[in-house]
Amino acid sequence: MMTNYIPTIGIEVHVELKTKTKIFSNSINGYGQMANCLTNVVDLGYPGTLPTLNEEVINLALRACLVLNCKIRREMHFDRKNYFYPDNPKNYQITQSRTPIGTDGYVEIEVDGVKKKIEILEMHIEEDTCKSTHRGEKSYLDFNRAGVPLIEIVTKPCISSPLEAKLYLEKLKELLFYSDISDCKMEEGSMRADANISLRKKKSDPFGTKCEIKNIGSISNVYLSLEKEIIRQSKLLDEGKTFKEQTRRFDSKLNDTVLMRVKETGNDYRYFPEPDIPFVCISDEMIEEARQSIPMLPDERKKLYLSKGLSEINATKLIQNRPLSDYFNELLKVDTNYKVASNILLGDISFYLNRTEKSIYDTTLTVERFKELIAFIDDKTLTSKNLKDILDKVLEEDVAIADIIKELGIENITDDEALRKVIKDIIASNLEIKKEYLEGHSRAIKFFMGQVMKQTQGKANPKMAMDILEEELNK
Amino acid sequence: MYLDKDIKEINELLKAKKIKPIDLVEEAFSNIENNEELNSYITLNKEEALKCALELEAKEVDNILFGLPIAIKDNIVTKGLKTTCASHILDNFIPIYDATVVEKIRKKNMIIIGKTNMDEFAMGSSSRTSYFGAPKNPWNKEKIAGGSSGGSAATIAAGDLKFALGTDTGGSIRQPASYCGIVGMKPTYGRVSRYGLVAFASSLDQIGPMTRNVYDNALLLNVIAGYDDKDLTSSKREVPDFTALIGTQLGKIKVAVPNYFMSDIVSSEIKEQVEEIIDLLRKNGAVVDFIDVKYLDKAVTLYQIIAMGEASSNLARFDGIRYGYSKEAKDINDLYYGTRSVFGDEVKRRIMIGSYLLSGDNAKVYYNKALSIRDDMKKEFQKVFDNYDYIIGPTTTTTAYNLDEKDDPLKSFMDDVLVIPVNMAGLPALNIPIGFSKEKMPIGLQIIGNAFEEAKIYQLGSFIEKELSSRGEDDD
Repeated sequence: MMTNYIPTIGIEVHVELKTKTKIFSNSINGYGQMANCLTNVVDLGYPGTLPTLNEEVINLALRACLVLNCKIRREMHFDRKNYFYPDNPKNYQITQSRTPIGTDGYVEIEVDGVKKKIEILEMHIEEDTCKSTHRGEKSYLDFNRAGVPLIEIVTKPCISSPLEAKLYLEKLKELLFYSDISDCKMEEGSMRADANISLRKKKSDPFGTKCEIKNIGSISNVYLSLEKEIIRQSKLLDEGKTFKEQTRRFDSKLNDTVLMRVKETGNDYRYFPEPDIPFVCISDEMIEEARQSIPMLPDERKKLYLSKGLSEINATKLIQNRPLSDYFNELLKVDTNYKVASNILLGDISFYLNRTEKSIYDTTLTVERFKELIAFIDDKTLTSKNLKDILDKVLEEDVAIADIIKELGIENITDDEALRKVIKDIIASNLEIKKEYLEGHSRAIKFFMGQVMKQTQGKANPKMAMDILEEELNK
Repeated sequence: MYLDKDIKEINELLKAKKIKPIDLVEEAFSNIENNEELNSYITLNKEEALKCALELEAKEVDNILFGLPIAIKDNIVTKGLKTTCASHILDNFIPIYDATVVEKIRKKNMIIIGKTNMDEFAMGSSSRTSYFGAPKNPWNKEKIAGGSSGGSAATIAAGDLKFALGTDTGGSIRQPASYCGIVGMKPTYGRVSRYGLVAFASSLDQIGPMTRNVYDNALLLNVIAGYDDKDLTSSKREVPDFTALIGTQLGKIKVAVPNYFMSDIVSSEIKEQVEEIIDLLRKNGAVVDFIDVKYLDKAVTLYQIIAMGEASSNLARFDGIRYGYSKEAKDINDLYYGTRSVFGDEVKRRIMIGSYLLSGDNAKVYYNKALSIRDDMKKEFQKVFDNYDYIIGPTTTTTAYNLDEKDDPLKSFMDDVLVIPVNMAGLPALNIPIGFSKEKMPIGLQIIGNAFEEAKIYQLGSFIEKELSSRGEDDD
């Protein structure tokens, strides 16, 4: 993309926390339920109700502080942000203004092989609003979302390209998802991004007029909308035009940003400390508990997998599939052939899981049974074709792998001597064809293999049979 | 008349099945009907109360408050029973849940008789801002009952029943208790759960008992006090038996009287009666010192900033969308405007001032500064309690005035100049009646204790109550 200007980008991300209940009430925190089923008098802002504080939220927010390398505020409070809007049940939102739980963090990304820290200004905890839907003349409110815990993560204006923005969001999403902080499903709104962007000619110039692109629905749209916005603003600046600070949205049909409103000066939210929630003191124990509860993060997983002999591609693929990666981590605790295991997991088992829309944890394949399975593959009892034949049974029934193999009668003959005897007999009674083989007719070897399989009822290990055949024929 | 009898006697009669709860309920309603012109109630719960009384006949008399009628201020939510906050905006609001104090009262098998009149959203000190008209003072129906818990004070003073709940944000229990000559306690902030109390100023609001005598008051506090996991500002402190110290030896107590409480702002006949109490205490071995307490004269200003700031936010939820009055409207702004226009003048005034106080830099200049001076004031009180057991003084500067008097909204705050400092410091304080003015209007004494020392306040309160009643008998 060509521009004569330097973009300055800052990103605000709202992430819904994966808690059992809401932040200030004991309603279930859930998605996709019938409208207004997951609400109570507190969520609806009924007169006389008071907020309670879900401790799980503090734990998850602390986890986020840790994975985003933020400084943690040891004494914090909540504030009320006052504004009237139908999706705001109390007409104030409980948030953190003066004492955000985290400040001065960073996320490290890699742009064209160069590492860069995207600096995080602050991270605070707040409650989500309810969801409003407009149909014709009417508006409908669904309070299931009201009071769902959120963290808002605000970067410094330190992002200098749409690509960096995209890489930052991908990394952020991976970190938050792997720390079990959030589902980070942008399509369901559990992760939402706003981007601020301004242009200037030189690094020494003051920042240009900024435009905010609100509520962008996917990471790729963040990238696209920033590119479009750079083109739009560059054109205006080239023409010597000025514009006012404004809020825009990305219209994916138009593939461009659209003006929502010009910013009015002095949006006055009349912040003041929430009197219904006492100050929260963050103890060393709370931070330690949060640290302990963070599962292994992607970078660490990758290092581990490579050290266990996995290929780069398998390591990356495993990490992209969180349940498989978690399962694999369990497997690493037992002694087995990890390379073979990763191949099977990402191959036939992934195929099965996709086909049946199951998670690995829905199958009967315990780590112990998997180890057993790998052993049979390792000693060549099972061929890859055999594996395909028995896989459904392996994944759906809780039977010892050895029994499944026996039952299906696909036990390979791996006894070298027994197989050699069969092969010798076959060659002895087909000397004509041995001659053809030695003359270089390729169909001859196929004939012999067919005979071997026939004699052994398909139980011969093909590779082993082939090796012995060639050895004997060339004697 | 059973309800005039001592609480222990009533309990014995109930236990002996000589009377039934329904006798008490019927008596209360007959009293209320006779005193209808006092306008103490917004909603009566007659049908339910009678039903409840009949149901109790099958139950064992398990506690001293069993079967006793109680009135609840109309800003405390009651499941299935209209709760209006004396406002047009909630005049048809039927809550779907019980306040924690109401749950506790029901568990003790007390019977809710009705919801008492008050200032709209507890904003006022004469109950004249009620959408349903002001309650009247039983001692003189030309006069105010005080406020904002005016209805609760009036119904107790009139002898309709023995127990009522009030709420106190800036004196709203003690001031009407003083004007009506009854006993009213504002407990320590955090002593009683606020869950289900429609918030006016969250950092100051507190529910408390209003009764005819100190012992009954302590009994009711026993029921409603205690930690509630639904209110994060409620205290986990252990709840003692608040009657425990009543009637025990006072010992050599030290009492402080702030000079401000006995300054020119207080009428001379009230001061005289308070001085008599001081003499009485001294005669009984107490040390009573007149002292200076800093910031007392600033309390009303602090109160106005904090209470109005919080109120402007707390009352934002009344928007006509989910509950309460809703104006038919063509768009959202029209709905807000039409619905919220029905707030009374005093409520609107406080919302507007409060919004202004929190706007932009004002929050720093006013609200935050007020919070910090409030902390200083708490420390100042703490210093006093390092050396003294109690702070006493008059509850009000004058006795109840005429219903058509003093309509100036700013001056009306001055009615509460002696009670507001206590809310600022979060301390417990009790009003007890100590006599009458020449006009035959009640005069009250305020006893302030250290945080969570309600039992000790009751001890002194009941001592004075007993001394005065025996003196009254001598006078006869």
